[in-house]
Amino acid sequence: MDQRIVEFIAGLRAAGVRVSIAESQDAFNATRFMGIFSRDDFRHSLRTTLVKEVSDQPVFDDLFPLYFGTDSPPMLNLNDDLSPEEQNMLQQALRALLEQLRQQNQQGKPGEQGNNQFQQGNSSLNSRQLDSLMQLLQALLNGQNLSQESLDQAGQQSGLQNARRPYEQRWVQSRMMRELGMRLLEELMKQLPDKLKQMGMSQQSIDQLMQGMEENKDALAEQISRHIGRSVAEQRAEEHEQNREDPQPDDLMHRPFDRLSEEEADELRHEVRRLVAQLRSRAALRRKRHKSGVLDTKKTLRSNLRYGGVPLELKYKRRHLKPKIVLICDLSTSMRNTVSFLLRMVYELQDQISSTHSFGFVSDLGNITEDFAEHPPNEALEIVLARPDLQPGYYSTDLGNSLNTLMARFAGTIDHRTTVVFVGDGRNNHRDPRLDLMQQIQRRSKRVVWFNPEHPRMWGTGDSDMVEYLPLSNGVYRVSNMAELTEAIDKLLTSS
Amino acid sequence: MSESTEKIKAELISQQYIASDEIATVVYLAEQLEKPILSEGPAGVGKTELSKAWAAATGRPFIRLQCYEGLDETKALYEWEYAKQMLYTQLLRDKLSQVIEGTSSLTEAADRIASEEEVFFSERFLLPRPLLQALMCDQPVVLLIDEIDRADVEFEAFLLEVLSDFQVTVPELGTIAAKHQPTVFLTSNNTRELSEALKRRCLFIHIDYPTSEAELNIVRLKVPDLAPKLAKQAVEMVQALRQLDLKKSPSISETLDWAKALVKLNAKQLDEKTMANTMTVLLKHETDIIRAKRALSRGKGGRRDPRDFDPDDFSSYRNVYG
Repeated sequence: MDQRIVEFIAGLRAAGVRVSIAESQDAFNATRFMGIFSRDDFRHSLRTTLVKEVSDQPVFDDLFPLYFGTDSPPMLNLNDDLSPEEQNMLQQALRALLEQLRQQNQQGKPGEQGNNQFQQGNSSLNSRQLDSLMQLLQALLNGQNLSQESLDQAGQQSGLQNARRPYEQRWVQSRMMRELGMRLLEELMKQLPDKLKQMGMSQQSIDQLMQGMEENKDALAEQISRHIGRSVAEQRAEEHEQNREDPQPDDLMHRPFDRLSEEEADELRHEVRRLVAQLRSRAALRRKRHKSGVLDTKKTLRSNLRYGGVPLELKYKRRHLKPKIVLICDLSTSMRNTVSFLLRMVYELQDQISSTHSFGFVSDLGNITEDFAEHPPNEALEIVLARPDLQPGYYSTDLGNSLNTLMARFAGTIDHRTTVVFVGDGRNNHRDPRLDLMQQIQRRSKRVVWFNPEHPRMWGTGDSDMVEYLPLSNGVYRVSNMAELTEAIDKLLTSS
Repeated sequence: MSESTEKIKAELISQQYIASDEIATVVYLAEQLEKPILSEGPAGVGKTELSKAWAAATGRPFIRLQCYEGLDETKALYEWEYAKQMLYTQLLRDKLSQVIEGTSSLTEAADRIASEEEVFFSERFLLPRPLLQALMCDQPVVLLIDEIDRADVEFEAFLLEVLSDFQVTVPELGTIAAKHQPTVFLTSNNTRELSEALKRRCLFIHIDYPTSEAELNIVRLKVPDLAPKLAKQAVEMVQALRQLDLKKSPSISETLDWAKALVKLNAKQLDEKTMANTMTVLLKHETDIIRAKRALSRGKGGRRDPRDFDPDDFSSYRNVYG
C-alpha cells in the first residue's frame, strides 16, 4: 500500500500539483491514524494532507480512483442463470454469428482485389480482432475480468505506451476498445436476441441474458478505461521524473515574448508565481522602510512610554502608499503575449495595489475589470482573450477611438491618485492619435506610464505614434521580455 | 466512516454544527497529527463557526486572533505594559533608594539595580496577546487565526515559527514553549495567495456552499420554528440564487438570517410579496437584487455566460464602479 501511495504522489506531481516531502510524510502519518478500511476516510486524509490548492482538487479527484480504484468491477457469471439447454443454445447462436462475421470478412476480400495492400492490412486486422472477440465473449459470459496480459497486449497495439496527455487518453481508449473487439461485440449483441429467439429460447431468459451481458460489457469497458487512465498517469509520472533533471534555462527571462514557443511560454507562466512572490516581498519591505509622512503624535507617545516619555523613536503616519492603477491593454495579435503576462502578474499582485481597473482595446475599448474580479487570473485571461468585442482584426487597432470611449464612459476611474498604464506599441494604423484626450488623462491622473515592447529606435517609424505620446507621458518602460516586464512592474509598485 | 470520525461528527452536531465526512476526518487528523487546519472557501460557509463549535465540543477555551492589514507582533503576540512598569517604578521609589543605599560608586549602584531587574521584566508586566495567551494557557485551547489572507506577508512568515514549533522567544524572558499544544484553525477567503511554506504546515480543507440537502438540515437545526415545507422552499430558492451570476452569492449565514426573518414575519409561503420584502436579507448588492428579480420573473434564470458581453449592462455597474 505504501508503494501505491508513493506512486500516487508521483502521479500528482506529474500532473502539476506541488507536493513536498513533508506533505507526503503527513499523508503517510494520516493514513496510519485513519486506517485504510474506509475508502472515503482514506481519500479525505490524502486530500487534506497533499492538496493545498482548490484548483488542484479536481486533479486529485481524477487520479485517486485510478490508483486506488477497486481493480476489477464486479461481474456476474451469466451461465449460472441458464439451464443446460439454454447454455447450449447460446453457444450455438454465438458460433453461428461468429461464422457469419468471418464469412462477411472473407467475402469482402475478393470483391476488391484492386487495392491490395490496404485491403490486406485491414483484413489481417479483422482476423486478429475476431480472435480478441472470442476472448472477450468468454470473459463476458463467464463473468471474468480481462487478464492483465490481454490488456497489456491490446495497449501495445493501440499505442498506449506513447500516450502522455489526457487528451490522448480518449483516442487511445477508442483504439483499444476496437482492438479488444468491443465494437464487434456490440454488433454481435444486436443480432443475438433474434438468433436466440429463432432457436426457441424464451423471451424472459433472453431479456435476462441480454441485461446481464450489457452490465458485464459496461464493467469490462470500465476496467479498460481505468487501465488506460492509470497507464497514462504512470507514464506521465515517469516522464516527469526524467525531465526534472533538465536545467531550467534562465535565458527564457530574456527571450523576447514574440519568440517564445508554446512550451516555453507555459514554462514562463509557471515562473510568474515565483517572480510575483519576489516582487511582493520587495514592495512590502519597501513600504515598511519607507520613512515619510506626518508625525503621528499618538503612536510616538505610546511607543516612547518605555523611555519615560522621552521621544527617542519617532512614528509617522503612513500615507496611502499602495498605487491605484488603471491598465489599458492593446489586445491586438502582436501584443497578446505581453499583455497576458502583464495581466497575470498584476492580478497576482492585487494585495500590493489598492485598486485596479483594466480595459482592453483593439478597435474599441472594453472593460475587463469584472472578468478578473469574478475569476482567478488564469481563467479570466482566457475569457478576456476570447471576448468577441476584443478580437483582433485586420489593421483595426485604434487607440484614439478607445481613448474617446474611456473618457466618455469610464473617466471616473481616473483620479489624482491613479497611475494610468498603457500597454501597447502605440501603433494606430495612421488614425487620429487623439493627443487632446491623452493630455486630459495626464492632467487628471497622477501619472501616465507606457509599457512598450518595441525598441526605442522603432518609435515614430511607420504608423507608430509613440513619439507624439511621449511628451504626454511620465515614463516609458520597454517590456519586450520577462525580465524587463518584472522590472517595469516593480517600478510601478515603487513610486506611488 | 470509521468510528473515530463518527464520534467527531456527533460532538460537532451537539454544538449545532453539521460537519461533512471530510470536515470530520480533517478535524480528527488535526488532533492526531497535531497540525493546524487551514480552511478556505467563500465567506459565510461556517469556517469560523467550525472552530467555535470544536472549542465548545471539547470544552476548551477559545482564543481568536482576527487578522488585518498592518497586524504586527505587538498586537498578536505580546507587549510590555509600559504604563504599569512606570507606575511601579514611581511607587517603589523609596524601596529603590534603599537598594542602592550605601553604595560607593555608580557602577555598584547600577549592579544592584540590575540584580533586581527581573522584577520589571517578568510575566507580571507582560501583556499577552492572543498567540501568547494560547501558548501560556494552563489547559489546551482552540486558537482561531481568522482571515489570515488579510494579514501582511511578514506576519505570515512570523506565524510560521509559532505554528511549527509552538514556542516564541521574548528577548527579556527567554523562550516560552507551549504548555499544551493548541488546536489551531486558520481561515482564508482566498483574497491572496498564501505562501507555500504556510500551506505545507497545515492540513487543507476547502469548505464550499453545502448541497441543498445539507443546507436544509442546517436550517432545520438552527431555525426549528420554520415550517418544514417553507424551509425546503427557502433552501431551494437560495440554491437557485447561487446558480445566478451574482456579485455576492448568499451564504449559509444569510440563509439562516432569511429563515429567521421568515419566521418573524410569520410567512406562510414564498410568494412574490414576501420575496420582495425579504430579498435584502439575502442579497447585499442593489445590482444583485435587480438581477435576481429579473431571473425570478423569467422563471428559471440561466447563468450568464461571461463571454456574451452586453454593453448595455454597464449602466447597472456604473453606480458601483463609477
